[in-house]
Amino acid sequence: MRSRARHARSDDGGCDGRADRPASLADAAENSPDASALRSDGGVAGETAITDDYERTRLQRWRDSDFVQSVPFWLPPFLLMGFFVYAAIGWNFLISLTEYSGFGDIDYSTIGLHNYVELVADAGFWAATRNTLVLLVAFTLACLVLGLSLAILLDRKIRFERTFRTIYLLPFALSFIVTAQFWMWMYNFDFGIINGLFGLVGLGPYSWLGSPRLVLGSVIFALMWQFSGYTMVVYLAALRAIPGDQYEAARVDGANTLKLYWRVIIPQLKPATVSASVVLVLFALKAFDFLYAIWGFRPRRGADILATKMVREAFQRQEWAYGASIAIVLFILSLAIIAPYLYQQYTQGNL
Amino acid sequence: MARTTLEHITKVFTDDNANDIVAVDDVSIEIEDGEFLVLVGPSGCGKSTTLRMVAGLETITDGRIRLDDRVINDLPAQDRDIAMVFQSYALYPHMTVRGNMAFGLEESTDLPDEEIDALVTETAEMLGIEGMLDRTPDELSGGQQQRVALGRAIVRDPDVFLMDEPLSNLDAKLRSQMRMELQRLQEGLDTTTIYVTHDQTEAMTMGDRIAVLNDGKLQQVGTPLECYHRPANLFVAGFIGEPSMNMITGTIDGDAFVSDEFTYPISADLAAELEGVFDVTLGIRPEDLELSTEEPEDSRALSMIVDVVEPMGDENVVYLRFDSGDVGIDDDQLVLIATIDGISDIAGIDRVSVRIPEEALHVFSTETGNAIRNRRLEGDVERVV
Amino acid sequence: MSTDTHSSTDTDPTSSWIDRVSASDVGLYALLLGLVAFYLTPIQTGLVTSIKTSQALRETLPFLPPGAAGITFEKWQVAFEALSSGMINSMLFTIPSTILCAVFGSMAAYGLTLANWRGQVLVFATFIAGIFIPYQAVIIPLSEFWTVWVNLDGRLAFLWGLPLLAEKHATIIELIITHTAYGIPICTVLFRAQYQTMSWEMIEAARLDGASMWRVYRRIVLPLSIPMFAVVFIFQFTQIWNEFLFSLTLIRSVSDPAASVTLILSGLGEAMEGVDFPLRMAGAFVAALPTLIVYVLFADEFAEGVKV
Repeated sequence: MRSRARHARSDDGGCDGRADRPASLADAAENSPDASALRSDGGVAGETAITDDYERTRLQRWRDSDFVQSVPFWLPPFLLMGFFVYAAIGWNFLISLTEYSGFGDIDYSTIGLHNYVELVADAGFWAATRNTLVLLVAFTLACLVLGLSLAILLDRKIRFERTFRTIYLLPFALSFIVTAQFWMWMYNFDFGIINGLFGLVGLGPYSWLGSPRLVLGSVIFALMWQFSGYTMVVYLAALRAIPGDQYEAARVDGANTLKLYWRVIIPQLKPATVSASVVLVLFALKAFDFLYAIWGFRPRRGADILATKMVREAFQRQEWAYGASIAIVLFILSLAIIAPYLYQQYTQGNL
Repeated sequence: MARTTLEHITKVFTDDNANDIVAVDDVSIEIEDGEFLVLVGPSGCGKSTTLRMVAGLETITDGRIRLDDRVINDLPAQDRDIAMVFQSYALYPHMTVRGNMAFGLEESTDLPDEEIDALVTETAEMLGIEGMLDRTPDELSGGQQQRVALGRAIVRDPDVFLMDEPLSNLDAKLRSQMRMELQRLQEGLDTTTIYVTHDQTEAMTMGDRIAVLNDGKLQQVGTPLECYHRPANLFVAGFIGEPSMNMITGTIDGDAFVSDEFTYPISADLAAELEGVFDVTLGIRPEDLELSTEEPEDSRALSMIVDVVEPMGDENVVYLRFDSGDVGIDDDQLVLIATIDGISDIAGIDRVSVRIPEEALHVFSTETGNAIRNRRLEGDVERVV
Repeated sequence: MSTDTHSSTDTDPTSSWIDRVSASDVGLYALLLGLVAFYLTPIQTGLVTSIKTSQALRETLPFLPPGAAGITFEKWQVAFEALSSGMINSMLFTIPSTILCAVFGSMAAYGLTLANWRGQVLVFATFIAGIFIPYQAVIIPLSEFWTVWVNLDGRLAFLWGLPLLAEKHATIIELIITHTAYGIPICTVLFRAQYQTMSWEMIEAARLDGASMWRVYRRIVLPLSIPMFAVVFIFQFTQIWNEFLFSLTLIRSVSDPAASVTLILSGLGEAMEGVDFPLRMAGAFVAALPTLIVYVLFADEFAEGVKV
């Protein structure tokens, strides 16, 4: 009943010119013939009227809920993302069960795990897996150590801190295709700076991008150059979040700088380390652009990782179904990293 | 303007471990049109949750809330015509004061811009903030932000004002000034107001009536003086009044009240009122204790040691204890608090006689906590209240 | 900690050892400058190499600039000619998808942060996981979807006769949609991080003021997210511009009219007689130019975007 009166109120608004305060309009509406007619229609306002109102709004409860109201905001992006990410992964899995090799339609009638069986027997797959794991561990550790050192250096209230930070992060803003060009030149056998430096101390020259024993290390070093700025930014933010009086308290307690960082500061950087590691590991899993830019579809022996093998099998050799099965292995590897991370974040209430 | 009725309101939260937590338990209050009701209680008592249910910011697990005859349980917050002043003021940082105050009118009415502007100016003048209409909130002091938050609520002329600890971020002096100003404003506007606070002083000084909540349950609804002089139970008795009421637990033995520390004779009238309840708690307001330096001659007077005196200027707060022999501080030891006139010189006196007048006694059942008998005031209680 | 430890050394207990021992102060700055050399040498070497003649390339040290006789801008010219169509293509898909990502990300974050309903954390978790999935796991279905199922250039054939439109725009549209879809998760996470710090009471105040969810978004949340939009634009622009795998798998051929700048660069300067390094370096700089400009101008916003 009141809600009808409220509608009347906004209708009456125009006639009244709304010069009055809204409250007096409300009074006017209540006294308007329309509203009073309603009141006599409904009998004495009492339990019945109240219950009616209650039931009516109950039907609207669902429509008015925050959930329904928020759907237009998150559902379209969710569907777009969900289709391209999760539906695509499902489809990829389905393809990995077929024998599809790029010709005609995909035949879903004969499905089986033969591609995975083939994988297990493929020495190249195991070599790629080994290289992926080495890359992942060495690259992540190198970036963490270098990034943390940079962050601690920059957190000392030094001058031109912003300029230093901008320079250290610069490689991260560049495309891998671009940085790969630079590093190909750095590692060049005849003219590269790296061999030049080794030459100064009488070593080399080495074939950094040619020797199977060196290639993976060379790639890791170049990727560390590109990614350590990222870890630095993450650590710097975490360091800035530590209240200054902790430094003072530790000093008053007589801790020297080394002890201060080792015992007071670094333990508090654990969450930053975890999230930076997750990003680095997942990057290492899918590092492809850099390798492709140097070697194309087939990296030098010793530098082939799952990501490059997958693209090569599918897009160069047209072994689509086989490539899809490698992609699933890659996906499972990343899931093994993301799932515990997300669960941990969830239990800590960080989501 | 509306009468606001809470009928058996209950709110149950489910925590992360799927445990149900009853935040508000079967609360019923009727708030008259134009009334200023203060919801008061310790933190976590459910007062804010109750307010947020009225606002539509929390769903209602059970019961219903009415504005006049309209049940608003399921009405979304934006359709309730209710304005709220938040503890943090919740001003829109990117808008000027004018924009902040106009926002509600722009969103909830279809008034033309000039009229909104006129209303905003008028309200700003009423609050004395007309000079800062074109500033943004970060250029205002805390007190000024507080006024803008009030103005934002007032300008909408809603059915009901809700205020959630609006003064708690102000310093003490400004707070007492705003307390007065708020009351004056509310009287002038005559809009139903529900005001939440944990501060019993605010409750006592501001409310037409106060509703005391504890642990999600409504303890008492009444005028400030009713709650002070006729507390319904131990909780209200202890919560309202500063310093708190003195509480002494003991038992009734014939015509005497017996506690660990002393025996206190009770009159036949009082004994009759107790109606066979034996485990009782005596309550006595600090200002009702009568202190004198003479030796106790009355059987209702006790000899006590003056422990600490806190001079407040207008009065002295005196902490008294029994002479138990040991010097150490014992938590279980009964301490009585008395307030006496600020000009009486108590310095240097270490032993006093403390008389407990029977007419000022509150008696509560220790078991249920409910009041069995409240103090007798000289003259008619009803008239005082 | 103190804001400026350099001005006050003795009185300030927080001033560190570097202030008191100037030798280690020098050491610190030497170290920082050494690191600058480490991070800039590959780039600087690339820059000087790109203007060297092939004779100067053999005769000078890689990081030293060539003598006046050894300078040539011919490689830059060649690189620019080779990459200009790729630059245009990259712009055509990078800018729209950057904007779409930011808008969708902001909307999703709003619906999942500033509304109150159960299960939003679960939905949000699917967004976070979306950031981390390896694109290798989706590129086969993706190319299958666009080439076989959607076949956009066939369906839009009626448009190609119009001025300014050509078949390559079908591929550009595919790239816009693809980049938008995969950019949404990170944008959502970035916006959500900001929205979580917004005052709940302010949102509630706006709701009580009569604003619907849409109006709260439009009038309160959106104006307050402008700084975050800058961060997301900067970050997402560089990410999409630099992206390579989607270009490789959706465009496939370096000679495709829709080829992106990174795709063309990956094949630049490869000849039978060996790699033309000055050309490659010049190409790398041309391709990186937009991101370099954006990065130098908005380094703070970029760093902000990296943090999450």
